[in-house]
Amino acid sequence: MSDIAPFEGFGLGLRRPHYSDFLDGDVLIDFVEVISENYMVDGGKPLDVLTRVREKHPVALHGVSMSVGSAQRLDRDHLAKLKQLADRVEPLWVSDHLCWTRTSAHNSHDLLPLPYIEEALDVVCANISEAQDALGRPMLFENPSSYCSFPDNEMEEWEFLAEMTRRTGCYLLLDINNIYVSAHNHGFDAMDYLRGLPLDRVRQVHLAGHTPGEILIDTHDRPVCDGVWQLYAQAVPLLGEVATMIERDDDIPSLEELLDELDYAHAVTMRARQGEAA
Amino acid sequence: MAHVLEEGRALPAGWDVRFAAGLDIYRNAYRTRLVDALRETFPRTAQWVGDDAFNAAAAHHLITNPPAVWTLDLIGQGFTDVLAELFARDPEVAELAWLEWTMHLAFVAADVRVLDRDGFMASVADFAEEDWAGMVLAFSPSLAMREVRHDIPHLWQGLKAEEGMADCLALERPAMLAVWREGLSPVFRLLDPAMATLLAHMQTGTPYGEACAMLADQVGEEEAARAAGAALGQWINDGLVVSVTR
Repeated sequence: MSDIAPFEGFGLGLRRPHYSDFLDGDVLIDFVEVISENYMVDGGKPLDVLTRVREKHPVALHGVSMSVGSAQRLDRDHLAKLKQLADRVEPLWVSDHLCWTRTSAHNSHDLLPLPYIEEALDVVCANISEAQDALGRPMLFENPSSYCSFPDNEMEEWEFLAEMTRRTGCYLLLDINNIYVSAHNHGFDAMDYLRGLPLDRVRQVHLAGHTPGEILIDTHDRPVCDGVWQLYAQAVPLLGEVATMIERDDDIPSLEELLDELDYAHAVTMRARQGEAA
Repeated sequence: MAHVLEEGRALPAGWDVRFAAGLDIYRNAYRTRLVDALRETFPRTAQWVGDDAFNAAAAHHLITNPPAVWTLDLIGQGFTDVLAELFARDPEVAELAWLEWTMHLAFVAADVRVLDRDGFMASVADFAEEDWAGMVLAFSPSLAMREVRHDIPHLWQGLKAEEGMADCLALERPAMLAVWREGLSPVFRLLDPAMATLLAHMQTGTPYGEACAMLADQVGEEEAARAAGAALGQWINDGLVVSVTR
């Protein structure tokens, strides 16, 4: 299995309200990320748009339906269509989430949390290996956010991720907001989480907003909050070259607003690195 | 999964109140996400029946047809049948929903190069007279038809205006409503009855001559000749024909 070379840059998710901005203008970002499943279709406008955006920008494919935590193994139709898309797009990389979304009968269309036990680790690693073999490339997997954890957990989430990475050779997509959300919801120290991960395997970083409350909810419907920026600033010195992006999926603002937020991410990155150098 | 799908299901032993609060978030997100996806796919149907009736129908659909495939795009599979059952006294609801669902599918149907007039003429340039009877047409994969008893295009336009002026007119007699994609845009039209019958025959691979003969048996020689004479030009103009074989 080949390596994924680091790619340093700042990008955004490609979302429908911004299609014309990307097609008609020059959006000055280093890469775009698209939700893979939105383009795993036979034809029509979605693929036409993606093809034209790809002519202008490197593209990262980010999936939500692989369900590597499913004991019923991977969905062959999903995997075949993902490979078809990856072959067509020639992406920077293909990513999905550490989670499960389906049983053999039903699909929740949600990123459900896994019990962090050896049995689940075996399932996840087998599925990741199958996906990577089928795609002919290593993948990135994103650390989840979650609202409940299982009482019979045998290890911490970061330990699970580290072992998963070691066994399968996969890479990590580090979602800073997810760490922040889960640290609050489950009462762990976010820095323990970061220090427990093999950060040399991180190739991409997500920054997003969440809904505050007794349980924080990972809604991606508002700007990144101060706490997540602070955690990101602490993470930057620990990371190598990564692709960093703002992830917004709901209440999507103008492209200009997101570009301003991305500029802020750039500034935070530079300050964090200068602080490290000092 | 059952704990997400079934709201009343008791928690397993050892799962505490905090777990229950988290599980409620997943349960609520499951229902909200899927009902929202249905509303995005069937906005005019939702507008026509009203929010409360649509939400109830959507909830019924999710219970009777819980999502089974990986793509949320197919969440509406079977919803038209659910609406036909729930709105048996208002059959225009299922007809409108069929149009929205079929437009949704046509939007991402496979890309094909359709024949324009010059392409069609080139394809039949060396046809001998007897070849026409054996002509078989392949149509755009986005093409779908169904019988409707209401002027659904009129209702569609009225709902699009979003001025509360939409009305639904019964047709004098049932008609075929066709959906297909022109370029990147799904389109629809009520079809001339005889041409619709001819199209239905030829869409299944029936040769032109045989399809015309079947049409003549159904509508008479004169009407069949009129429809057959106009149909080819209409289908080419509409961008429906992908290839010609004999």
